[in-house]
Amino acid sequence: MSEDPRTIIQRWLSAEGYIVVGRSVERADSLDKALGLAKFVEDFFEEGYLLARVAISRVPHARILNIDTEPALRIPGILKVLTYLDVPGENQVGYAIPDQPLLAEGKVRYFGEPLAIVVGRDPDALARAVEEVRPRYEPLPALLDPLEAMERTDVLVHEEFGSNVAFRTRVRKGNVEEGFSKADVVVENTYRTHHQEHLYLEPEAALAIPDLENRVTVLATIQYPHLGQKIIAKVLGLPAGMVKVVAPYIGGGFGGKDDEGPLVAARAALAAYHLRRPVLLFYTREDSIQIHPKREATVIRYKSGATRDGKLMAIDVTIIHDTGAYANRGPFILWRATMHASGPYVVPHAKIDGYCVYTNKVPQGSFRGFGNPSIQFAAEAQMDLLAEELGMDPVEFRLLNMLRPGSTTLTDQVLTSSVGVHEALRKLADYSGWWVKRRQYRVERTGRFRRGIGVAVAWHGNSTSRAVPDWSNAYMQVARDGSVVVYTGIVEMGQGSPSSSHRQIVAEVLGCPLEKVKIVFGTTEAPDAGATHASRGTSVGAIGILVAAGRIRSRLESFLSEYFNVPLEGIQIRDGKVYVRGEPKMSWEELVTLAYSRGVDLSSTGYFFLPKGTFQEDIGRGFAYPAYSFIAVVTEVEVDTYTGRVRVLRVYPALAAGRIINPEAVKTQIEGAVIQGLGYTLMERLIFDHNGRIVNDNLTDYVIPTSLDVPEIEETIFVEDLWEYGPLGAKGVGEMALIPMPASIANAVSHAIGIRVTELPLTPEKVYSLVKHLER
Amino acid sequence: MYYRVLQIKYFKPRTLEEAIELLTKVRNSRVLAGGTDLLVDLKTGRVSAEALVDVGAIRELRGIEDLGDRIRIGAATKLQELVESDVIARELPLLRKAVESMGSWQIRNLATVGGNLCNASPAADTAPPLLAYEAELIIVGPRGTRVVPVTKFFTSYRRVALEEGEILKEIVVRKSTWSGWSYIKLGRRSGFTLSIVSVAVLASTRGEVLEDVRIALGSVAPTPIRAYKAEEYLRGREVGLGVLERAAEIAKEEVSPIDDVRASAWYRREMVYRLTLDALKTSLRWS
Amino acid sequence: MRVSFRLNGSWVSVDVEPGEILLDTLRLRLGIRSVKRGCERGECGVCTVLLNGEPVVSCLLLTAQVDSMEVTTVEGLGSDPLFKDLAEEFARRFSIQCGYCTPAILLTTYAYIRKVYEGKRKASVEEIVKAIEGNLCRCGTYPRVVRAVVNTLSRLTTAP
Repeated sequence: MSEDPRTIIQRWLSAEGYIVVGRSVERADSLDKALGLAKFVEDFFEEGYLLARVAISRVPHARILNIDTEPALRIPGILKVLTYLDVPGENQVGYAIPDQPLLAEGKVRYFGEPLAIVVGRDPDALARAVEEVRPRYEPLPALLDPLEAMERTDVLVHEEFGSNVAFRTRVRKGNVEEGFSKADVVVENTYRTHHQEHLYLEPEAALAIPDLENRVTVLATIQYPHLGQKIIAKVLGLPAGMVKVVAPYIGGGFGGKDDEGPLVAARAALAAYHLRRPVLLFYTREDSIQIHPKREATVIRYKSGATRDGKLMAIDVTIIHDTGAYANRGPFILWRATMHASGPYVVPHAKIDGYCVYTNKVPQGSFRGFGNPSIQFAAEAQMDLLAEELGMDPVEFRLLNMLRPGSTTLTDQVLTSSVGVHEALRKLADYSGWWVKRRQYRVERTGRFRRGIGVAVAWHGNSTSRAVPDWSNAYMQVARDGSVVVYTGIVEMGQGSPSSSHRQIVAEVLGCPLEKVKIVFGTTEAPDAGATHASRGTSVGAIGILVAAGRIRSRLESFLSEYFNVPLEGIQIRDGKVYVRGEPKMSWEELVTLAYSRGVDLSSTGYFFLPKGTFQEDIGRGFAYPAYSFIAVVTEVEVDTYTGRVRVLRVYPALAAGRIINPEAVKTQIEGAVIQGLGYTLMERLIFDHNGRIVNDNLTDYVIPTSLDVPEIEETIFVEDLWEYGPLGAKGVGEMALIPMPASIANAVSHAIGIRVTELPLTPEKVYSLVKHLER
Repeated sequence: MYYRVLQIKYFKPRTLEEAIELLTKVRNSRVLAGGTDLLVDLKTGRVSAEALVDVGAIRELRGIEDLGDRIRIGAATKLQELVESDVIARELPLLRKAVESMGSWQIRNLATVGGNLCNASPAADTAPPLLAYEAELIIVGPRGTRVVPVTKFFTSYRRVALEEGEILKEIVVRKSTWSGWSYIKLGRRSGFTLSIVSVAVLASTRGEVLEDVRIALGSVAPTPIRAYKAEEYLRGREVGLGVLERAAEIAKEEVSPIDDVRASAWYRREMVYRLTLDALKTSLRWS
Repeated sequence: MRVSFRLNGSWVSVDVEPGEILLDTLRLRLGIRSVKRGCERGECGVCTVLLNGEPVVSCLLLTAQVDSMEVTTVEGLGSDPLFKDLAEEFARRFSIQCGYCTPAILLTTYAYIRKVYEGKRKASVEEIVKAIEGNLCRCGTYPRVVRAVVNTLSRLTTAP
């Protein structure tokens, strides 16, 4: 009998003949969602609860002289206006760097920064009150351009740091001068990407309900309840155990509710703490867009060289992230961009420099892909340019340099296994008709409508980067009737891990019927399983579930072996039945009843701490991630050279993300990410005015894809390159298809029009001006 | 949840006379038709009003009729009714095409053709086709009924030729035969969205000669406009690529676009040229 | 002011502010929680309800305007065989991710299918795609929603 997590993980990784794993089992939450029974935060609002909104800064940069709350308080129905002075614990909530207040203190640093919380009874009064919170300011010059901000020292977003560079990263590998001297072709470009708004259809909200002795329960739009608990406790000056956080169903997160969720929860908790009554704090759509962090805007300078026979020799990359007013998760995002800067290729010489730069704009934050879509956009454009210089096919050139088992990565990490990207791209090229279309479209490059086909490949490290600790956990209990309840901190925000893969893993490992399994998700009453971000809902989040189930399984097996007096190998529990030497003996329910009466512990946790290596931060060398997921995407476009409009016709994905536990569920993630990536690449862009205000803070002016904007998304090719620690070998999926989309579409557009695209988004106007420029 | 509850009075008259009386007597009152623009404007504070006069229950404001020599469209007719109307499909295909691209199904079930005109957005999608058809607007008010050609309806940015207490009652389009038409709307996505530029063209030819042509443009000036100079240039000319290009060039000079979140003025001008040319070619089946 | 309308088959009579929005009345006064708040300006469609059987956004509609009309939400369709069939097809096709837009998208597609079926018209994929353009889905379920509608329609037309 083994309780050791590694033994359990290993046993189920190499098990044969899965019953429910690998099948497209229907999600458990679909019908509740269809019938309107699934409840989201605002659905828990009851009559008599108070309401709260956030008053925001309407200047980009200023010293706060005082905040006059009287005018707001004079509005009938307004009960309280809370500022930083009302925070009983700590007001400091920065995730990576202690630079961010929960409510503005001393200065405001962006248009949209939360200044005060207004609490009252009716929404009309709140709407007026948020306009009436009147700070007296000493205006300061606003820095809106990161390149300018880097150079300036006379104006500082954070005076205490003495520089507008919030954070730096480096990778030094080999010797780039030597590398470039050996290169026969060298290409160099500057790439620019822009802010993207998450636009989850459910705006942020949190409902805080005070309990006895100032205990508080908070229901929030949050991707990591335990982090919310930690931050609320810190803000209120309470032990974490006095705070319970629950994420009910969440109407889309995409990273945005990972950054903003804990802060929304803490603001609601603060209001409930003072009012001693339940308070629902909500963001309007405009609040949501002005306040919460966005996908990073970047400037990337990229130089790369290759030998005549097609070997990538050296890259020299400078990555500048406009981190906005606060670092938020910017340093982690920058690390990810830095360590993925080569793309999934072998490169002997590399020099990467990353800068997170403060500006007086909305902070950059987590968004599906986390710094990776922008750097892959640059890296994959460079790969196309090198291939062109060498007269090679882009797929051929990529395959020549691609990571394989045994390869060394950009950070000098040796990948011993789980590297299926070479096979994925090879299969994809054939499947998509690449070899024919790539030549054909080039020949046909005349007339108004021009077709193009582009490829992009991406890698994405699983888990936290470097030696940053990461773990999984869950609590599982088999009830006396044979039903199984699992408690996990992983949330359900659309990705479906608690409603599909988690259940499948439990049923597979315990051998119980699938319908017996209930997953209770998104609560601090469960053990901390880490956040639901970084594509880890299943890949890391389910390891704890697997281990807990594996422990109960082996206890049952030991018990049965003793009970029937047969060796362990003679015991089988499958699909709700117990077999002894192949003979059916009892049902799952009978087994559970028997086990209860014979003293078998049918409850378990499943803690697993991911093994990691060491990493030298000053030269960016060593263990970067425990494993990588890979994806390749071929995209076909048609460009109307007359108007500049780009239509994406077809998208072909190939995924190497280890074991596919639920193929259809995985495909929904691919499709959703393709569409979100298409929106980012073609139409979505936040526009800032001279005050750093987001001008298009509503859905009329910020457009996202509709049903009419969706291309044909072909069936995904799966390469199951198992990860040794993944649950049954699974790696992360959720973010994957978004990462190569900008590159894949841009490479296809470049192929169609014969001009290299280096800046996003590819709006009709942008593409039109490129074509027009060429015509001149 | 939590929209601002608009502090406003609400009236729902059954007759046009009642509505006119309310609009005249109730201070700062406005007509509520479909509400898809007005309620957004009221919520965001772009427009203020103290009372709304809902014209949704006034029967004579509804309906599409073929009156033999002309088509009558009640001003409060829903856009979706236009899309589904056989009369519109048969007689005013240019209008149908434009309305099809307006809003979503959910919006078209609320929004009205009259509301779209009276809201007078430069991007109002019913305007270019109705400008091209030279529709007549029947307006009723305290001093009786008057007829205003739609070409005189848009007076300046978001202003129309309605006097206090007046209501747009119906839109009348005289039937005439056009040999070709074309409507092009360019937006930032394929799904419903505000246009960057829209173009509506009606043309009739005799042999190779362009007898008559109408070109109307949206989102490129403070109001929807006609490109009269381009039309004038084309009238009576023999169709040829050079002629069409010249006309598109003239149209480009007639517009006065601005930079906004959707596109720059420069791009809009370029697109006026290209889309006008394109719409002319389609209308004339010229390839 | 007092407004009366049929909500999911039963008449309701409710006191509202004259300027009150239907979405508010449904959620706050009548306990209808499937109708969601999204963009507050008619762009996203998560607040869709059926008004006399036709989909409309409830965020751009005064409650006063629907007096004596019929409002339907998914709460009222649980026992409708066509709706159930459609909802189950959504589940089978993985046409639902976060679910925030789902009740609205089901109402639109349900109304569409009824229209096609009752009008004895032929449906097309293009038409289905166009019918749901007003229901934004940030998770990107569009292709699977279309598939679910196609399947439901084809079952309906081949059924005896």
